[in-house]
Amino acid sequence: MKTLIRAGWTLWLPVLLVTIWWFASANSTNIYVPSLSRIVEVLWRDISSGLLIDAARVSLTNLAVGLLIAAAVGILLGLLIGETRRLRLILDPYIHFFRSVPQSALVPLIIGAMGIGAAPKIYTVAFACVWPILLNTIDGVRGVEPTIRSVSRVFGVPKLLYFRRVVLPGAMPQVVAGLRVALPIGIVVMVVSELFASNQGLGFYILNSSATFQIPETWGGALMVGVIGYIIVIMFSLFERRVLSWYFRSGAL
Amino acid sequence: MTTTHTRAPSAETKAPRRSALLQRDWSLLAQRLGALGIILALWQAAVLTGLLPSITPTVPEVTLGLWTAVTSTSFWTALGQTLSAATAGWIISCVLGVFLGLLIGPLRWLDRSTSVTVEFGRAFPTIALMPVILLLLGATTSMQITMVVLSALWPVLVQSILGARRLDPGIADTVRIYRIPRLLWFRRVLLPSALPFVTTGVRIAASISILAAVGIEVLTQVPGIGRMITLAQEAQRWDLAFAYLFFAGLFGWTVTALLARAESSLLAWNRQASG
Amino acid sequence: MTAPQSIHTGSLDVLGGEVLLDVSHVSMGYGDGEHEKRILEDLNLKVGHSEFVSIVGPSGVGKTTLLRGLSGLLPPKRGTVSVAGQTITGPHPDIAAVFQDYSRSLMPWMTTRENVAFPLQGQGVGRRERNRRAEESLEEVGLSGQGDKYPWEMSGGMQQRVAIARALAYHAKVLLMDEPFASVDAQTRFDLEDLVVNLREALGVTIVLVTHDVDEAIYLADRVIVIAEKPATVVDVIETGFGTVRDQVDTKADPRFQDARGRILTRLRKA
Ligand SMILES: Nc1ncnc2c1ncn2[C@@H]1O[C@H](COP(=O)(O)OP(=O)(O)O)[C@@H](O)[C@H]1O
Ligand SMILES: [Mg+2]
Repeated sequence: MKTLIRAGWTLWLPVLLVTIWWFASANSTNIYVPSLSRIVEVLWRDISSGLLIDAARVSLTNLAVGLLIAAAVGILLGLLIGETRRLRLILDPYIHFFRSVPQSALVPLIIGAMGIGAAPKIYTVAFACVWPILLNTIDGVRGVEPTIRSVSRVFGVPKLLYFRRVVLPGAMPQVVAGLRVALPIGIVVMVVSELFASNQGLGFYILNSSATFQIPETWGGALMVGVIGYIIVIMFSLFERRVLSWYFRSGAL
Repeated sequence: MTTTHTRAPSAETKAPRRSALLQRDWSLLAQRLGALGIILALWQAAVLTGLLPSITPTVPEVTLGLWTAVTSTSFWTALGQTLSAATAGWIISCVLGVFLGLLIGPLRWLDRSTSVTVEFGRAFPTIALMPVILLLLGATTSMQITMVVLSALWPVLVQSILGARRLDPGIADTVRIYRIPRLLWFRRVLLPSALPFVTTGVRIAASISILAAVGIEVLTQVPGIGRMITLAQEAQRWDLAFAYLFFAGLFGWTVTALLARAESSLLAWNRQASG
Repeated sequence: MTAPQSIHTGSLDVLGGEVLLDVSHVSMGYGDGEHEKRILEDLNLKVGHSEFVSIVGPSGVGKTTLLRGLSGLLPPKRGTVSVAGQTITGPHPDIAAVFQDYSRSLMPWMTTRENVAFPLQGQGVGRRERNRRAEESLEEVGLSGQGDKYPWEMSGGMQQRVAIARALAYHAKVLLMDEPFASVDAQTRFDLEDLVVNLREALGVTIVLVTHDVDEAIYLADRVIVIAEKPATVVDVIETGFGTVRDQVDTKADPRFQDARGRILTRLRKA
């Protein structure tokens, strides 16, 4: 009963908004604003035919690979730079500069140079996402307790083990925070790169629909991307709570 | 997003003794320039050895491109267009987000009712709506501003709600005891109390505004620096494309740096009060 | 003046003169209906003009709850609180309050002067007048010339003085204090206690102070109300008879002080 009331409290507004949309658009005469029922209909059609599923698989694979590359590069470099004070000081302004480049501006360059296949999209995502991960990892490494550092030194812990068992776990909360910042950037860059030029993926579905004047499909594709993006972000925060449970429990926050 | 940005500036940023600072700065500057030289040399080598795609311009070409860009009026016009669209969208987002956030945050029922909607809006990749908004509004500046607002509103809104929620119960009691009128309460209590969070949202919104404005220009016919990059790329003027990209980065970096500075002077009390 | 050498059992009514604060059959609690957790049961108390009343009781008995009721922050479940004959329904212009957590009741983004003047701004007092009154109150609490400092630039004791100054500048008739000196060190605490004693004498404000500290309750008050049990009720009332002047050494060595102390501690141990 209690949970039911709570669900009611949190869900009435979204339900109301969707209902309003449903009925307000039901008799829409504006060809650019199809009725919600029509959008749902075409979405359902293209999902059951597997068209949208395939498109989503392509997009999400690009996103995942790009993010993995960004994470691998960002964390490794971050550990290295974070541990080397001098290097950190020297590279700091450059990293901040690259972090500030509006990542969407990279899209025409990379795709223009490498064509419309999957690789340039993966590179764009990776390049856009690496900076926040790198910056946060550096921050995290810097934040590792000095006492923990000196204890490892006193016991002569080998360098590799020290990185793996001391620095990385210590920096983990910040690393994950970096991933959290990178994730939405990656999604946006993925969408932009597909909308810029593509022959498959969710962006292509949207682009193709709007080019051939299939308005409900355009709306449906946009909603689909949005909902997928939302689900990814939510899943990430669940994952985060899992991975970092020691951190939340220790009350370090 | 919040944890990384709301962290208090570390003690390390405090200036060391003056003379030491000056000396160290010189050698650091030299090393930074050296690093820049190495980065550029690596780039040049990569282009010459064919490691990078053949169309990648060499360092001298890009340098020339930078000069061509700053001396052309079309570049400055484009920069101005991007800047004004991003700024307009950013300001609207900030005003709307702060107002709504400070309205929602202190009211528990409203906070609970809107939480899912706000969460959804924040996680929704707004750029996906671009084709739809483009259909509705065409490739116009108002379309661009709409997209910027739809993208940048959320961080301000979310941070403002968080800020308003954390009003100290002791202060809330004080305000009630002394019967502070609603408007004065809003202006002198709720707003300053939420400010450390709000400014974080405002700062994130600024980056997103630029990102969205440039993204729209890259994807549509809306004029601006993003459009210039696309046009340069289509015309195979890679030197110019890289130059514009560089300036887009410089622009983003300047905005971020200016806002960070403004924030730290605005919130002197917060740093002190929280030790 | 012939000082009686033994303490008196006091009354819940005022000795003579006008009643300023009238607490009548007040019951308080949290939650509603069958879920209600009753904290205070049928409390009666009258406080006269310029009187200093301490309410003492163990931690968790409901002192803060009671003070929230008196200040209009939390309406009583039953009974009424009235000030100068007017039943209060919420925070009232005649009532000011100082809380235990000074660091949380002052606004860190305002200077000391702005903090003190803020309630006046809420009453529509003009800038010059409110700054004048703020400065005056700061002087009364021994902080003249410190108006431009921020609360976080001050020690805990000074912050609590600012909170007191804010209450004084408001020109309320009744000053409610909830364990105001619980978070400062002993010496500062004695200074603040004497400050409050002197303010009462100089300005004639009426003070109701709650504390779990028996010594403090006796030292400051004309009348000590002892509350205990669950739900809390008045279990004893003591007339101290010290007049308006106190001394940290002499007063505390006074046999009446010792008598009262023994009596209250015994009573609280029983509860
Ligand atoms: N908001 C609340 N909701 C429910 N119970 C409360 C609340 N505030 C206080 N209490 C309970 O009321 C009792 C009295 O609290 P309080 O008035 O703070 O005591 P005191 O100030 O004497 O230490 C305590 O048992 C406490 O747990
Ligand atoms: Mg209490």
